[in-house]
Amino acid sequence: MRRPLHLIALLAMVCSLFVAACGSEEEEPATGGNKTAEETPAKEAIKVGLVTDIGGLNDRSFNQLANEGLERAKAELGVETRVLISKANSDYVPNLSTLAQQQYDLVIGVGFLMADAMNTVAPKFPNTNFAIIDVDATTMKAKPTNVSGALFKENEAGYLVGYMAGLYLKDEGGGTASSVGGQKIPPVDAYIAGYQAGVQAANPEAKVVNGYSQKFDDPAPCKELALDHIAQGAKVVFQVAGGCGLGALDAAKEKGVQGIGVDADQAYLGDQIMTSALKKVDVAVYDEIKAVQDGSFKGGDNRLFDVKSGGVGIGETNEVGAKYADQIKAEQDKIASGELTDIPNTVQ
Amino acid sequence: MSAPPDSELPPNITVASRMATFFRGGGILAPLITILVAFLAGGLVVLATGHNPIETYQAIFKGSGFNWFFPWLSEDDRIIAALNLQQTLILTTPLILTGLAVAFAFRCGLFNIGGQGQYILGSIFAVWVGSSFDGMPALLHVLVAMLAGVLAGAVWAGIAGLLKALAGTNEVISTIMLNWIAIWTGVWIFNLGSPLQNDNPDQVDVPVSNDIVEGAKLPVFWGDPQLQGLHIGIFIALAALVVFWVLLNRTTLGYEVRAVGFNPDAAEASGINVRRNYVMVMAICGAFAGLGGALDLLGWQFRIATNDIQTHTLAFFGIAVALLGRNTAIGTLLGALLFAGLLTGTSVRNLDPTVFEPQLATNLTYMIQGLVVLLISTDVLVVYLLRRRRRK
Repeated sequence: MRRPLHLIALLAMVCSLFVAACGSEEEEPATGGNKTAEETPAKEAIKVGLVTDIGGLNDRSFNQLANEGLERAKAELGVETRVLISKANSDYVPNLSTLAQQQYDLVIGVGFLMADAMNTVAPKFPNTNFAIIDVDATTMKAKPTNVSGALFKENEAGYLVGYMAGLYLKDEGGGTASSVGGQKIPPVDAYIAGYQAGVQAANPEAKVVNGYSQKFDDPAPCKELALDHIAQGAKVVFQVAGGCGLGALDAAKEKGVQGIGVDADQAYLGDQIMTSALKKVDVAVYDEIKAVQDGSFKGGDNRLFDVKSGGVGIGETNEVGAKYADQIKAEQDKIASGELTDIPNTVQ
Repeated sequence: MSAPPDSELPPNITVASRMATFFRGGGILAPLITILVAFLAGGLVVLATGHNPIETYQAIFKGSGFNWFFPWLSEDDRIIAALNLQQTLILTTPLILTGLAVAFAFRCGLFNIGGQGQYILGSIFAVWVGSSFDGMPALLHVLVAMLAGVLAGAVWAGIAGLLKALAGTNEVISTIMLNWIAIWTGVWIFNLGSPLQNDNPDQVDVPVSNDIVEGAKLPVFWGDPQLQGLHIGIFIALAALVVFWVLLNRTTLGYEVRAVGFNPDAAEASGINVRRNYVMVMAICGAFAGLGGALDLLGWQFRIATNDIQTHTLAFFGIAVALLGRNTAIGTLLGALLFAGLLTGTSVRNLDPTVFEPQLATNLTYMIQGLVVLLISTDVLVVYLLRRRRRK
């Protein structure tokens, strides 16, 4: 019934495949060695690794901006780059440590969600430089001396877009200003707190409504939240949820209300984008890389990005938003000059 | 093995039992061919994207860390390979256990698609016990936390078994439904202001559980315990394989399970309580999957966030592992090693980006998983056709 010859022939084929695979595996180190030998003497290129948070690389805001900064450094500073995308919270530690293990000169963690992992990994690799966006390096539990934190005053950017939203609501004769957050974490809340303060400052009668989707990647829950807010009378929707927030801006488009983008300039999403609250993560990433290259990198300390330094601000406006450009400029100057300082950081 | 004679086809009642019959017809060769064809098809896709499939598979192999066993590796490469192999073996642990959760049900003629839900329930209870009761003796704490995970998984799957026994509910439907209940229960329970959300003042705004306390963590025996070294859970998973084999082949329960798997009506007629068996088997399956969830939490993850629960897919690989392993202990082990190696080898951090974009490669793993399931269904067909030809 069974034909042993066929069996043997097949087994032999399978075996030969494995042997072939192993054989060439043996040769690989040789070619690998040649490659690095050719590259290293060319220039003193430092190696920079970037670890995204679970928002993924194509969130069109936070992580994507970080990657743009990295790409710019690659083009202008000639650094060697690698990006590791995190799919789950448990990816942060191995992603950071793998890059450190492979002797990258600078490892950048993008986002507050990575604070714990950075706190674990950085002390293990004292000779590697680390940078982390949105985390205060001076308050990290392990007090690592090789981590530089990049902090943004999101509340200032939030205030400016909120002020614009408030002015718009005034002209519309009332209405609600909505904000759709991802997870309730400090950078998200700083935006929202600033936004609400801005709305109230421009138009004390305006109402605010706020919700969290608990997600940064999937657009569906943010869209649902935004539609809900619009049904409650929201005429402006501010998204603070990375890739998830794209759903909120989509809802604004669908219902013909104003949308406000976050982190990156999201004016390209359509006419409904009144403006965007900018957070120049790309500048922060670029600056950190440059610092490592020219030797001015300082661990255990923070870099601060605010309206004054141009690290946060306001993006392109649509026709509606353009009407308020002068008033917004005035507020911006007030913040930069230090006249306006008490913008809240946390949502009540 | 004392398998009943398979000279004639028994009357087949369920999909699972029908598949089991045909599996026996294929022998060891069928799964090997399945893998080979899946890899060849994957290679064609790689080729279509303009890459070299042989180089890509080599890079995946290297990324999996299995090259650690090669004696000719240089010292530097060996360090990297060791790290990669640790990651592969960390994933092998839950894959073995979720694989067993499917395999054991299969042997009883049941199709358990609820591995994911049972795994999540195991995780939830393990993280709850493991992060509370600080100060309990270490060994006791680990055992209690593991037991909590095992029991939670068993009860969760037992519900599906009970529904099958009492109301005849198809276990495929009920286990899928239980998966979703488990996912959303998990999302709720760790969410802001919910009972098991962490009480760390720095993280009040993050929907994540408390951390497992030091005493409840499984010891790490290879690598850095803080950087996800290999924990002893792999030995517990290997022990579970032995338990599975003994249970199935050397106990009365196992005999009954196999008898029900071959033919529930005949088993019933010969005095076996088929309903009781359904409940028992599902509970044992759930215990395996729940243990998998518990080991992951106590061994290397140490905390669980709501988005982890929503994006978790490992337990679904358990189905492919069991199918490829022909629902045997040794087959499940090999299947788990294969898929763990593929998952680690194609991960963004381990696959050499100059050979193949890792973003694409992860999808390659999913494709190979899909192909394996599909091809196993086809080789059921092939064996069926062969038998028909032979009988004519």
